[in-house]
Amino acid sequence: MSKSSPKLRPNFFDGIVALLVALLAIGTSVVFYGGLGSKDGDVTAVVLHYGKEVERIDLSGLDGDRQIEIDGKYHLTISLTAFGAQVTHSDCPTQDCVRTGHVSRVGQSIICLPEQVVVKLEGTKQSGDPDLILG
Amino acid sequence: MKKILVSLLAALLLLCTGCSQPKEQTLQIFAMDTVMDFYAVGENAEETLNAAAQEINRLEALLSRTRTGSEVSAINGGGSVTVSHETASLLRSALQYAQTTSGAFDVTIAPLVDAWGIHSDMPRVLSANEIRTLLPLVGSDHVQLDGDTVTLDAGCRIDLGGIAKGYASDCVAELYRQNGVTGGWASLGGNVYAHGTKADGSFWNVSIRDPKNTAGSAAMVQLSNQFAVTSGGYQRYFTAEDGTVYQHIIDPATGVPAQSDLLSVTIIGQNGTMADAYSTALYVMGLESAQKFWHAHEEEFDMVLVTEDTVYYTAGLAEHITTEEGGPYRVQVIT
Repeated sequence: MSKSSPKLRPNFFDGIVALLVALLAIGTSVVFYGGLGSKDGDVTAVVLHYGKEVERIDLSGLDGDRQIEIDGKYHLTISLTAFGAQVTHSDCPTQDCVRTGHVSRVGQSIICLPEQVVVKLEGTKQSGDPDLILG
Repeated sequence: MKKILVSLLAALLLLCTGCSQPKEQTLQIFAMDTVMDFYAVGENAEETLNAAAQEINRLEALLSRTRTGSEVSAINGGGSVTVSHETASLLRSALQYAQTTSGAFDVTIAPLVDAWGIHSDMPRVLSANEIRTLLPLVGSDHVQLDGDTVTLDAGCRIDLGGIAKGYASDCVAELYRQNGVTGGWASLGGNVYAHGTKADGSFWNVSIRDPKNTAGSAAMVQLSNQFAVTSGGYQRYFTAEDGTVYQHIIDPATGVPAQSDLLSVTIIGQNGTMADAYSTALYVMGLESAQKFWHAHEEEFDMVLVTEDTVYYTAGLAEHITTEEGGPYRVQVIT
């Protein structure tokens, strides 16, 4: 072996480089793999009116009943609790939103077509949860 | 210096690994009298969903019968009308499905749909006399289709609403395929297209809504590169002053809302247009006739039927369906 062979023993500088690379790797995975998402089991209710988000509420943080009023051509009252969401009143002609009843699982939604209101529950899906709902 | 270069290369490599994650995109639009949701994964996901929205709007402008200037409005206006080859082809398919289903699906139902007004702000119960007057206007023999020229008999109108969303899902599926979408789905108000698979290779879980508890699920099917369409009376209905419930699917044979013993019908197959037409037709037919129809066409589709107490599914779904054990429905396989 020649005398000019490189030293293989790591020094302080190597440690700093390894730490930087590790931090970069963690940062990359957080950004690209959605590591900043909600905790497992957390459910967020998102209310859209004519495509625009008007409310975004973490249901786990609710203590009691939170009422949201939507005004437009028709009037809707949406009730949010820690257990889910429900349109409790609407004066729209079809009443599909009221008939949908109470929703509580991630991926479920309530829709009022005449007033273009969507209440959807977002969060981390559990294994076996539906990707979409038909009917 | 060499060490710095090596670390920079390592960092770049890690960044590239992150960058190679497929792009995913979601989109929601209101169109065709429903809300539509799209999800796509792939390099061109965003462009694909924008194109899908444009395609839906284009089809609505062509096929809606409530939009002035649409080709269907022009047909319903009377006289001989030459339409696009696309509209003529879809109408030709609709007439074919009417024949296949012995009229259980029929696009000439429009005058009765309008009179009942169940989709409108002012639904009402028709008198027997009104039904007798309007019923003769229903039937595919009132439509003459010569090439791309359509002529309706006097007083007749067509409504492609029972097939247009299914056709739109076929068009969206083609966009997903052409643009290299690796996985995703499109949900067009009771019409679903499941494309490819999830990142882990598993199929898409599609929950079929429980007609008796619309926040619940009657069954879950796992789909890939398939269409699923559900029709059911629970989706839209009105309650008359005497408490009678009238749901929105009109039986072309009687002119009144279908008195079906089925709560919902889900058709699963390789063609969204067909699935849309058959879901309506089999709902109108009822449990017994729907099963007979499937036996005559079992190569074309699978189905899930929900009655008051039972979920029926065809044997082809056995590997890809789950139902709640101890749930509100008995489960029966159709073979």
